[in-house]
Amino acid sequence: MDPKLVEVTQLIDRFKAAFKASNFDVCSTLLSQLKVLLTKFPSLPPVFQQTPNAVEELKLAREIYEQAVILSVKMEDQDAFERDFCQLKPYYMDTCGIIPPSSEEYPIMGANLLRLLVQNRIAEFHTELELLPAKALDNAYIKHGVELEQSFMEGAYNRVLSARQTAPHETYIYFMDLLVKTVRDEIAGCSEKGYDYLSINDAKQMFKFSSDKELQQYIAEVN
Amino acid sequence: MAAVATVSSAGGILAMLHEPAEELKLHALASLNSVVHLFYPEISTSIPTIESLYEDEEFDQRQLAALVVSKVFYYLGELNDALLYALGAGPLFDVSEDSDYAHALLAKALDEYASFKTRASKATEEEENVDPRLEAIVERMLEKCVLDGKYQQAMGALSYCINLSHQYVSHREYRCEVLRCLVKIYQTLPHPDFLSICQCLMFLGEPETVANILDTLISGSKDDALLAYQIAFDLVENENQAFLLNVRNRLDSQTPGQSNPDSGSALPVDQTVNAGTTSTEPAGDVQMGDDTTTANGNAHPVDPNEAAHADKLAKLKGILSGEKSIQLTLQFLYSHNRSDLLILKTIKQAVEMRNSVCHSATICSNAIMHAGTTVDTFLRENLEWLSRATNWAKFSATAGLGVIHRGHLQQGRALMAPYLPQSGAVGGGSPYSEGGALYALGLIHANHGEGIKQFLRESLRNTSAEVIQHGACLGLGLASLGTADEEVFEDIKNVLYTDSAVAGEAAGIGMGLLMVGTASEKAAEMLAYAHDTQHEKIIRGLALGIALTVYGREEEADTLIEQMTRDQDPILRYGGMYALALAYRGTANNKAIHQLLHFAVSDVSDDVRRTAVMGLGFVLYNEPEQTPRIVSLLSESYNPHVRYGAALAVGISCAGTGLSDAISLLEPLTSDVVDFVRQGALIAMAMVMIQTNESFDSRVGTFRRQLEKIILDKHEDTMSKMGAILASGILDAGGRNVTIKLLSRNKHDKLTAVIGLAVFTQFWYWYPLLYFISLAFSPTAIIGLNSNLEVPKFEFLSHAKPSLFEYPKPTTQQTTTSAVKLPTAILSTYAKAKSRAKKDAESKAANQEKTTEDASGSTSGEAAKTQEKDGDAMQVDGAAEKKAPEPEPAFQILANPARVVPAQEKFIKFIEGSRYVPVRPAPCGFILLRDTQPSEAEELVLTDAPATVATGAGNNAAAAAAGQGSAAMAVDDEPQPPQPFEYSA
Repeated sequence: MDPKLVEVTQLIDRFKAAFKASNFDVCSTLLSQLKVLLTKFPSLPPVFQQTPNAVEELKLAREIYEQAVILSVKMEDQDAFERDFCQLKPYYMDTCGIIPPSSEEYPIMGANLLRLLVQNRIAEFHTELELLPAKALDNAYIKHGVELEQSFMEGAYNRVLSARQTAPHETYIYFMDLLVKTVRDEIAGCSEKGYDYLSINDAKQMFKFSSDKELQQYIAEVN
Repeated sequence: MAAVATVSSAGGILAMLHEPAEELKLHALASLNSVVHLFYPEISTSIPTIESLYEDEEFDQRQLAALVVSKVFYYLGELNDALLYALGAGPLFDVSEDSDYAHALLAKALDEYASFKTRASKATEEEENVDPRLEAIVERMLEKCVLDGKYQQAMGALSYCINLSHQYVSHREYRCEVLRCLVKIYQTLPHPDFLSICQCLMFLGEPETVANILDTLISGSKDDALLAYQIAFDLVENENQAFLLNVRNRLDSQTPGQSNPDSGSALPVDQTVNAGTTSTEPAGDVQMGDDTTTANGNAHPVDPNEAAHADKLAKLKGILSGEKSIQLTLQFLYSHNRSDLLILKTIKQAVEMRNSVCHSATICSNAIMHAGTTVDTFLRENLEWLSRATNWAKFSATAGLGVIHRGHLQQGRALMAPYLPQSGAVGGGSPYSEGGALYALGLIHANHGEGIKQFLRESLRNTSAEVIQHGACLGLGLASLGTADEEVFEDIKNVLYTDSAVAGEAAGIGMGLLMVGTASEKAAEMLAYAHDTQHEKIIRGLALGIALTVYGREEEADTLIEQMTRDQDPILRYGGMYALALAYRGTANNKAIHQLLHFAVSDVSDDVRRTAVMGLGFVLYNEPEQTPRIVSLLSESYNPHVRYGAALAVGISCAGTGLSDAISLLEPLTSDVVDFVRQGALIAMAMVMIQTNESFDSRVGTFRRQLEKIILDKHEDTMSKMGAILASGILDAGGRNVTIKLLSRNKHDKLTAVIGLAVFTQFWYWYPLLYFISLAFSPTAIIGLNSNLEVPKFEFLSHAKPSLFEYPKPTTQQTTTSAVKLPTAILSTYAKAKSRAKKDAESKAANQEKTTEDASGSTSGEAAKTQEKDGDAMQVDGAAEKKAPEPEPAFQILANPARVVPAQEKFIKFIEGSRYVPVRPAPCGFILLRDTQPSEAEELVLTDAPATVATGAGNNAAAAAAGQGSAAMAVDDEPQPPQPFEYSA
């Protein structure tokens, strides 16, 4: 086996171990080493040179970037998420069946949709949707994002807020939390205009806070 | 592995740019650099990121970033930004890369550099700081050229530079500078390309240096002498008489053994002397240099070297005087004449006797068809018919003889003698034929008039008849074209100041011809007189004359052009259009085109508009492909004058090209509703189609039939009928062996030809000026010459089907009356085979002819004709037996001298390993041949030329030599001059 491949495989194993141990700092250093190593593989996009190891290399590279995306969620780093996702995307879109589809593909795509929703980048959200094949829309991960977006647009904020419980993947929780914040901001913005005053209880219900304290905290944050 | 995978987006790579690790950024940049041509729209949104990388002082691959940005800008069409960043990319910008990007940016860089430099040269005080990086790029490119460029390539680059400088360097001064530089570069090369140097020098007008080079060459080896001859022939082709005269004079002054040539007669080079003798010893050749040297009593030194040098010098001067090439051309045109008398006969029968316009046109058409061939059979067969020409028609008819005998320098005067004004004898002949004869002399001697100038001046001074003055002025102008001779100018000016309309018009044109391209002060004088006089004719003549003086001066002429185009008098504005057209002839100068187009649509006078459109033809003749596109809208104008102008513009600039676009544009115009537009279109079409045959473009056949139809149609307007008659003449001009060429092989403009066409277009006002078109004809021949300037037997290959370029089939039964109907009628399908067979037989017959034809003159022309007929009949029988036409061969072997039409030139190959090797590989015109077996006897091609009669005391030796040496060669089949016309009153 190609020594480079061996090196990368070993690094991935170390990365996975560290990841399990939630040692994220070690993870990110390992990750950047991995990415640099990947630049030595000619079979990766955009070159797609047909080398004997191409399949192996592509698979490895895809795995690395998938891990990178998941890591970025864990580290709650949206920029890194975007960066890694962009680099991962060619492996999903352009490999033309050189490598079998990954099991992580739809969860990660779904996560990306959520991210766009959180960042309120609705146009890009729809661009991404358009690029997906029609049958992907039936996928639970994708469907989740699509439904959320619909509720969000309709103003059915309670559905958005309650969707957190039905999140299909653990990584989604992070985005759902962020989404809740986005939704609350929206509600706050509207109620500011809509009401002269609002009782604590009503407000608590409207913002879906379970306790007065949380509400107070939020008010302090907004102001 | 299945299909080849490709990325569909650069998003991934762009994302990588944001990675914190340097290596990743680098990798991303490198990847971007390779896919930028696909994803520049995506990348363009990330330009700020990449720019910031470039600006990041710590980033160690800033140049790569710059390169990527530069490419993106290039694809976005922002060339300035692209260049800026390309400069930032430093060495990464690969000047040798073979991509659109690199090419475009290099061009941009050079442009930028050039404009910096020109700005710097214009305003030296405020030194422009040229970006050193820009300079670096230019230097690098040149360096690379020098490194890559092997010897030939460097040479190629130089000649490319010359072409470029002619085509693109719009500023004349600057172009001169460039050429001067090129000459310097050429001279530093180990084996200088003298051919190119001399071309440059001619453009710069430095006869001294050319003379030096030529002198050095003829002092050298035999091969060098050949080269010198070749240079001389090439220079002659450019038709710059004044320059050539200068070179000749310098050559004289450089050779101490020889004094200046005696005034008047230039060196007569007698071809009959040496054509027969194959000896190469100097003693035999001394005769070449006869008159000048012997007459002055400078006995040749016995030193053979000296003698050889003198001999070479004499030959060289013979070439430079243009006489050698004229003489060879004359021989060629005479021996290869293929004009079709049946066409003329048809025209003659179809044209009504009383219609003098068509009658004159027929005579003119005959003259054009036989231009330079000396064949005047048609005239002599139809003397009575000819005599119907009276007054100015008689003037034209007589002048037509000049066209037929064009280039017959030695015999010209003798030929015209019966018509010329007899000094002392008053009222001998009609002033019209006398004037015409003087004009004819001018046409015969056009641009080589040293010998005839004196006679013409005397004739001009001795007469007060304005018709004779008219002819003499035109003749003088033609003979001393461009020499700016002060005395001649004074003579013509005196005529002008008599303020006679007829003579004054010719005087104006004559002055212009005399001063062609000199941009002299005289123009102001002429302009002043044009304002004074009341005669429209004189104003018009002067306007054209003034235009001629600024020929080729480009920017220098701007003041004068401005002055003329702003004049209140439409005739002067009309002259201004000519000035504009001629000053910027063949430059495709944007400013000039712009101005002409402006006048073409905005002037109030139809004449001015017509001329403005026509002028486009002159400005654009170096890029004939452009013209149809530029004038296509104008050709659909509501104004018939503009349509007419458009037709002629295409005719002028695409003359002799057979360009398909041009034909398509002219075709609808030939059936325009307005008669004169049809006339112009027919003439223009003939000019475009000259020497194109039916198998090359089928529309030629259609056009020929159309002409015939128009001529035979009783109800056709006179104007278009005249156009059709002239067009038939032009289509078969010069015995079907000439074409209209405004550019010489070296892309220099041919002065005589351009001037000829310019004055020709004046026929709108004055029919006798039609004959000026003969100046534009140049023979399409390859004539190989050995070191003795004789024509040796030599063969070369034409790598194309013979039928593509052969002569058009001679017209047969349709045009003749039924009585003459030959059995050939059924043979039209075998015409190809026939004509091929005929060619073979003819070359055999030609040999016989020479022996059989005797010197008894007057019947010889007829004899030739009957022989041809016999030959024809023989072929008919022969061909009739041949049932199946054999497949046409893909190539053809041509024998020296051969007719090679311009389109055929690219198919010409010289056969390897043949005895003679051309000095210059370009296959056209005169080619000097190096003999690889000098020891063997040379076999010469017998030239059946209208031989020069050895006259005068000086040629006694020649006659003697001819007598003893070559009985077979001294054939004198000189046709006797036709009898004088019968004068009506």
